[in-house]
Amino acid sequence: MKKILLPVFVVTILLMACKKENTIATSTNPIMEMVDTTAQLKYRGIFMSGPYGTTMGTVKIYSKLNVYSLVLDSFTVSNGPDLHVYLSKEIQPLNFIDLGVLKATRGTQVYAINGNPDFSQFKYGLIHCQQFDHLFGSASFQ
Amino acid sequence: MKITLTVLLIAILSAPVFSQVNKMDKKDQFVDLAATIGSSRGAVAASYVYNWKLGKKKKWEAGIGARLTSSFGTKQEYTTAPARLARTTTIPFLIVFAGQKIENWDTLTVQRPWVNSLNVTANFAYNFNNKWQAGFNIDLIGFAFGRTSAAVLTSNGITRTEPLAKVSNFNVLLTGDLDYGNLNSEFFLKYKLNDRWGVRAVYQFLFNEYKTTTIKQTAPDGTQVDRFRSKANNFGVAVSYQL
Repeated sequence: MKKILLPVFVVTILLMACKKENTIATSTNPIMEMVDTTAQLKYRGIFMSGPYGTTMGTVKIYSKLNVYSLVLDSFTVSNGPDLHVYLSKEIQPLNFIDLGVLKATRGTQVYAINGNPDFSQFKYGLIHCQQFDHLFGSASFQ
Repeated sequence: MKITLTVLLIAILSAPVFSQVNKMDKKDQFVDLAATIGSSRGAVAASYVYNWKLGKKKKWEAGIGARLTSSFGTKQEYTTAPARLARTTTIPFLIVFAGQKIENWDTLTVQRPWVNSLNVTANFAYNFNNKWQAGFNIDLIGFAFGRTSAAVLTSNGITRTEPLAKVSNFNVLLTGDLDYGNLNSEFFLKYKLNDRWGVRAVYQFLFNEYKTTTIKQTAPDGTQVDRFRSKANNFGVAVSYQL
């Protein structure tokens, strides 16, 4: 009986340990989302790479009827786990608004912004690995 | 996972029946290894149990033991832990049935929690016959250690990064949300395969606690809160070996 039970139990534990982590992988297929041409460009910034990734492209904040959206334009970033798009008060995010999981590592992407954040405080657009607290890229709004 | 459980079930059903432990034994002493799984988390626990058999027919058991529990997961939500903020009353035992003050709760999402706790346990069981036993066990007091992890504290819609959330190190059972730290408890049904080996089906209720180190919740009464608790309902299997 020992010969049967112990291996079965060990295998059970190993399978549990190998369970895939609950991390959403970022697609590497480029996406091209359409920007509302009637929206007004409010701020823009150019991405600089962070300590944990290579990020290029432009981040833009558009406004239409007091509803804001963030656009990543001509954007590329090295892939990583659990990448999120933040509006942040600091380059290394301490106080931030999470706009959601990064949709793809390349392309033009649009993210809705809830509420009316004060862009004199939330003055950075970030690509941030939430799970490991690693900054992939930052852009300062001008 | 389904395949593994099926194999385990076949192993149990095909197990030969051996003679059972002497019915009049005054003690029940065994080691146990349990594996449980819940929503985006899992736990393994190794236990030593020393129970005294009680009653004329020795059907009841009560005793103490020690248990090492290791739980892990990703993006687990921990909520405000202090009982005075989390519940409508802080009276021991009654707090279990108290209402929740969710208006005071903030959420700490720990990105990569891994908690190991070593606790003294209390154990209770009832033997239906030589083969079947049902029981309950719960951690009483001990200590914990584990992985420091990044976390996100969400407070009234505002999100902040906590780069260094740490496992609460001291565990003690005080009932309900009065508890401190990391405590494991189980309801189980045990089937004795022979005089040495047994298997258990386990429902586990697991308390885990992380503390923030760089940022804190400001409670409505102005106090600063750094303790956040996760409660998990897990299910699993265990193997016991009689000593």
